[in-house]
Amino acid sequence: MKESVTTYLEGQIVNEEMEFTLVELCRVSGASQDEVTLWVAEGAFEPQGARPEEWRFSGTALRRVRTAHRLAHDLEINPPGIALVLDLLDEIDSLRAHPRRTRSG
Amino acid sequence: MKYKDYYATLEVERSATQDEIKRAYRKLARKYHPDVSKQADGEERFKEVGEAYEVLKDPEKRAAYDRMGSEWQNGQEFQPPPNWDEGFEFRGAGSQAGGYAGDEAGYQAGGEANLDDFFEAMFGRTRGAHQRQGAAAAMGGQDHHAKILIDLEEAYHGAQRGITLQMPVVDPQGHVTLESRTLNVTIPKGIRAGQHLRLAGQGSPGIGGGPPGDLYLEIAFREHPRFRVDGRDVSLDLPVAPWEAALGAQITVPTPDGSVEMTVPKGSQGGRRLRLKGKGIPGSQPGDLYVVLNIVLPPADTERAAAAYDVMRQAFNFDPRAHFYG
Repeated sequence: MKESVTTYLEGQIVNEEMEFTLVELCRVSGASQDEVTLWVAEGAFEPQGARPEEWRFSGTALRRVRTAHRLAHDLEINPPGIALVLDLLDEIDSLRAHPRRTRSG
Repeated sequence: MKYKDYYATLEVERSATQDEIKRAYRKLARKYHPDVSKQADGEERFKEVGEAYEVLKDPEKRAAYDRMGSEWQNGQEFQPPPNWDEGFEFRGAGSQAGGYAGDEAGYQAGGEANLDDFFEAMFGRTRGAHQRQGAAAAMGGQDHHAKILIDLEEAYHGAQRGITLQMPVVDPQGHVTLESRTLNVTIPKGIRAGQHLRLAGQGSPGIGGGPPGDLYLEIAFREHPRFRVDGRDVSLDLPVAPWEAALGAQITVPTPDGSVEMTVPKGSQGGRRLRLKGKGIPGSQPGDLYVVLNIVLPPADTERAAAAYDVMRQAFNFDPRAHFYG
């Protein structure tokens, strides 16, 4: 096992100020353009721009696209199912973050 | 080498039909999928289930596996009988290059090469069902991914830390070795869970002078006993005495950035959310810290305490269920 050490790296935060084109998003996430196009058609992602060549995805889409990609491949979930799962996962996250707010209204 | 009971992993009988095996796999895959399951060992279990299914879904491999006999116990020290695979032909026994990030980091480059002894000895490195797509670390210019866990405090202050990533590399002789590299990474102040940190040029090298790929680190927060995080906002439950809530109080509240003094307004009900503006995760638009009041009743375990509750009962003409029955 070889070991190599490098110096401190400064990274860039992928946040909402960052934009991906369809090609960039697919390259980074590993999902295919066809898959992402189908997910957009289901409303799971809402890029700016009218046509796929003009689409601009927010940096926050990266995590969701990667989740969608893994779920689609590991569990063979179709695009409507992906859209539903992503919505439910968001809801679970928000319930976890506010376990009390829902009970006390 | 330890024997693995793939039937036990999938929770099926050895006599299960292919349909039953598929059904069992699907059920467990959904249960343990790391994107869905919050169980600490979800990812590990998901890999095990995938490995078991990889063998049992394929009638050839299943038959070969069955031929090793059923008397073995899970985890038992095991040597495959000689010529155990005689007469079986396996398809596609090529090596798949993937990545695996050690320490608490997750998979890199989509693939996972945890080089499991048993599976590899029996079936070579032919992974399918649970092999993430787009592995191929040997391909040039590819972006890599890994997941890292950080403490909430690190997002408040920023941090510098070393992370160790492992990935298989094919040497000129065609052998696959695990190469680990340590990257010292600056965790920028204000980063949030679910965001990625892009390290330019730290992915695969480019082919033919092309630019190298990038490394994306997905950030997650380690579970904190006190604080919950929602995007850039942070919340915590603050225990208060009934009289503090009723009469108001000055209370010292811990935040990830040190303690602050906070006023609990008088007449506060349990569950009231008090906002400390800008005390959430820092940034150009810093988040807020929400303090949720949790009224804790002192036990009436002495005569004096019980008498105090009785005095309260007499002092208030109070019906907590006044609007309860409609």
